[in-house]
Amino acid sequence: MRSVFSEYLVSITDTVKDMVARLAETYDYVSALATDSKGFAVRISNSSKSASNRTMTTERGIVFRVSRRGLYSEYAFNDLDPEKEDEAMERLEQALEDQYDLLYSAGVREYETPELDDEPLELFVEKETEILPEDCELETMVNDLVDICEKAKQMDERVVECYTSAQSTHISKMFISRNRFLRQSYVYSEGSVAVVAANEEDNKFAYKAVSGLKGPEIFRDLRSQLEPCIKMADELLSSERIVPGEYEIITDPSVTGLIAHEAFGHGVEMDMFVKERALGKYYIDKRVGSDKVTMHEGALCAENVTSYAFDDEGTLAGDVTEIENGILKTGICDALSAKRLGTVPTGNGKRENYAHKVYTRMTNTIFDSGTDSLEDMISSIKKGYLLEGCESGMEDPKHWGIQCIVSLGREIIDGKLTGKIVSPVIMTGYVPDLLGNISMVSSDREVFGSGGCGKGHKEWVKVADGGPYLKTIGRLG
Amino acid sequence: MNMTERLIEILKNSGADDYEITINDTKAWEFYFIRHELDQNRVRNTKEISVKVYKKSEDGSSLGFATAVIPPTASDEEIEKTVKDLVFQASLLKNRPFELTGPGESSIETEESDLKEQSYGFIKTMDEIPEDENSYLNSYEIFIERTDRRFINSRGVDISFSYPYSMVEAVVNARNEKEEIELYRLFEMGTLRKEVLNENMTEMEKMGLNRLRAVPTPKTEGYPVLFSTDDARNIYYYFIDNTDAAMVYRKLSSFEIGKSIAEEGTGDKLTLKALGRLEGSSSNFPYDEEGSPVRDMDIITDNVPVNFHGNRMFSQYMGIQDSFSLTNIRAEGGTHSEEELRSGNYIEALEFSDFQVDPITGDIFGEIRLAYVHNADGSGYYVTGGSISGNMKDNLGSMEMSCSLRQYDNMLIPRITKLYKMNIAGVE
Repeated sequence: MRSVFSEYLVSITDTVKDMVARLAETYDYVSALATDSKGFAVRISNSSKSASNRTMTTERGIVFRVSRRGLYSEYAFNDLDPEKEDEAMERLEQALEDQYDLLYSAGVREYETPELDDEPLELFVEKETEILPEDCELETMVNDLVDICEKAKQMDERVVECYTSAQSTHISKMFISRNRFLRQSYVYSEGSVAVVAANEEDNKFAYKAVSGLKGPEIFRDLRSQLEPCIKMADELLSSERIVPGEYEIITDPSVTGLIAHEAFGHGVEMDMFVKERALGKYYIDKRVGSDKVTMHEGALCAENVTSYAFDDEGTLAGDVTEIENGILKTGICDALSAKRLGTVPTGNGKRENYAHKVYTRMTNTIFDSGTDSLEDMISSIKKGYLLEGCESGMEDPKHWGIQCIVSLGREIIDGKLTGKIVSPVIMTGYVPDLLGNISMVSSDREVFGSGGCGKGHKEWVKVADGGPYLKTIGRLG
Repeated sequence: MNMTERLIEILKNSGADDYEITINDTKAWEFYFIRHELDQNRVRNTKEISVKVYKKSEDGSSLGFATAVIPPTASDEEIEKTVKDLVFQASLLKNRPFELTGPGESSIETEESDLKEQSYGFIKTMDEIPEDENSYLNSYEIFIERTDRRFINSRGVDISFSYPYSMVEAVVNARNEKEEIELYRLFEMGTLRKEVLNENMTEMEKMGLNRLRAVPTPKTEGYPVLFSTDDARNIYYYFIDNTDAAMVYRKLSSFEIGKSIAEEGTGDKLTLKALGRLEGSSSNFPYDEEGSPVRDMDIITDNVPVNFHGNRMFSQYMGIQDSFSLTNIRAEGGTHSEEELRSGNYIEALEFSDFQVDPITGDIFGEIRLAYVHNADGSGYYVTGGSISGNMKDNLGSMEMSCSLRQYDNMLIPRITKLYKMNIAGVE
C-alpha cells in the first residue's frame, strides 16, 4: 500500500509557492519546509492504559528560511490559512524585521554564509507499507498489549509492572524553494516490551524493542519479545557488580550500534567542524580504527525509522562511507555547514520538527560486517565479557571520550561463557583506542531504530544504528 | 465561533463523559552564535491545542482516556473525526476510575516579560562574559519564550495564565599550548538572571582551565564522592521520583508515608518540599497540567515521606484527593559546612559526560570529564577519565549535605552532596 501524501500539504502548496516567490523579491535565498505527519501511540501497562495521536515526530506546521547579505533567518508557525496569505506574509516579514532591529541595536556581528545552492529538482515519493497507521485496528492491538502485560506477571511473579508501547507515524513533508519542489511520504513504527522485576534487594528493568520502516504490522512481533525480556530481567536480578577494569569485550549489535552512534556519529557531524568542536576535522584520511573498521552513515544505507528520500533542507538522502578499513574518509553535513566548509551536503540536515532549527544529524549509522563467527570470537577471549543491550550513551567529539551504558555483561573465561552476569555496566574510553583494538567482526549485522538522539541535551530526532558483533578492548566500570 | 468554542461544541455532542483542553500559544525568539557572531536568528509562533477525552465503561467500573493534538488549521471535519476517534480509543482502555479537577475559574498574570527586551538582555549578557585567549565562549544559543496557556475541562475549570521560559546553551573552550577542551552547559530560567548566568559562565571557564591540568584518574578506592554542580539534581530527582504516587502505586518505589527511607545512620536527614513559587524558576505555574492548583507542600521531612505527589489518576489510586504534579523543589537537611565536607580523602565530581541516577534501580553512573582528587594530607589535583558508579540505596543512610543551598532553575538543593559508597574506575 502507498503511504499517501498529505491532503493538507496539497491544499497549501500554491500558497507556499506564492509566499516563496514573494519573499524572493526581498531575500537572496528562500525556502519552506511544510510538514503534516500523523500517527498514534498506545501505551499499556498493568496499571495504566492510554492512547494518543502524538508520537516523537507527529507535527503540522511550516518554516520559512530566508537569507539576506549572508545572514540566515527562519520563521516557524502553524496557522497558515491559504485565504489569509497576505496576513501571513505581513506577520512573517514584521517578525523578522523586529529581530533585525534588535540585532542592529545590540550591535550584533553576523556570521556570513554564502548563498545556498538551489539547482532545479523535483521529487515525489510515496513509500510502500503494509498497513497505514490511520488504518490500524486499534482494538485488536490494545487487547494484545493488555494480554502481554498480564502474561508477564503470570510468567514470573517477580514482575512488578510490564510496560508495552506501540507507535506508528505517517510522515509527509514538502520542501519548496525557487527551483525545488520535493514531496515525500513514508511510514515508520516502533514498539517495545519492558518489565520491572523485583526481589528483596533490587529492582531491575529489562526491555526489548522492534522498529522499522514499516506500518503497524510490525507490532505482531511484540509478543515474541516478552519471553526474552523476562529472561533478561531474571538474569539482571541474579547479576553481580563488575570489578572495574580493562577487559577484552565482545559487543552485541545493539552495543555496536551505540558505539557507532557515539564514536563516529556525533564525532563527524560537520556543523561541529564549523564551530571547531570536533577533533574529527583534523583526522580526515588518517587512521582512527583498525583495518577491520568500516562504517556507513546515511538515510539510504538501511531501511529503518529515518530512511527518508530528502532531508529537512531539501537535500537528497545519501550513503556516506565515513570510515574505510580504519581510515576516516569524511563526515556528514547539513547544507549551511557545507557552504561554510566549502563542501557538499550529505542529506543529514534534520529538525526536531518544523519549529526547530536544522543541525547536522545522524540517520542510519552502521558498522560493516566482517567474516568472523560469534563462537570464534568468544573462544578467543581469555577473560572478558560479552556486552548486551544498549541503554544510553554520550560522546565528547572535542576529546573523543565515550560513555556507553550497557544492560549486562556475560563473563567469558578461557573462551567459554561462565554463566555469570554483571550489571549495570558502564563502558568508557578513548574512541581511537576502542576502534583501534577491534580485532574480530562477525559476518551478520542488525539495525535498531527504537531510540532517539539529542544534540547536547535537546533537539530530539529519530535515528537508527547497528552493525555486527565486534571484539575489542574496553574499560568497564 | 472560534476554534475552541467549536471544539467544545463537538466534544459536548461526542458521547465523551469528560474532556480537558489545553491551549498553549507560544511566541519565541531564538539566536544562535558561533563565538560572538550570529549564525542564525529565528522566530517561532506556534499554537498547540491538546484535547483529552474520557469515556467510562457502561457499568462505570473503568475509565479510558485518549489524547490528541489538534492543529490550529484543522477543519471542522478533521476536528470531528479526531474527537470521534478519541472517544472510540478511550472506550477501549480500561483504567481504574478517578475524578477530574473542578470547578474553578481564574486568570493569572505571572511574571511580566517582553521578548525584545529579554532578548536584548541575554545577548548583551553573553557578549560581556569575560574571556581571554585561553578560555573563551566557543558558541551559544539563546531561546526566549512566552507562553499563554488556557486550560478548560468539562467539570467547569477555565484557567488562563502566562509564563516566561528562557534557555541558554553554552560551550566554553579552554586551551593551552598542548590541547584544547570544551565544557557544555544548558541553563534554564524564567526571565534573565544576569548574575546567575555570569556566575555559571565564570565557573565554567575556571573548570575548563582546570581540565587542561587534569591527569588520568587513578585508583581512589574508598574515596567518597562530592557532587557540587548541576549534576547533583539527578540525586534529588531520585527522591522526587520515588515519592511520585505513580511509582509508589506501581510498587516501583518502596517509599512509605511515615517510614524512614533509610536505616538510622551517620548521614544527614533529607527534607524535600514542593514550592508553589521559586524566584527565577522557569516552572512558576499556578496550576499543573490537569488544572490542579500548585502550592507549597512537604514531601519528605527528616528522611520520612509525609506526602506523595503526582497526577490525579495515581494520586487518587493512593487515596490522595488534593495532590498535584511538582513544579519547583527545595531540598535541605544538611548539617555540614562546605569546608567540613571538603575535608579528608574525597573526589569532587565537576563534569561528567552524562551523569545518571536511575529512579527505579537506584543505579548511579557517570564518565568523569573533570574531577578533583583531595587527599587527607591536604594535597590535591584535577583528574579526567574513568567513571563513577554506585547505587542510591547503598547511600541513603550515609549521604551528607551542606547547609548552604544553590538554585538550578526550578530546584534549590544543597551546594554539596556527599556519597560514601561509590566505585571509582580509574584509568591508571
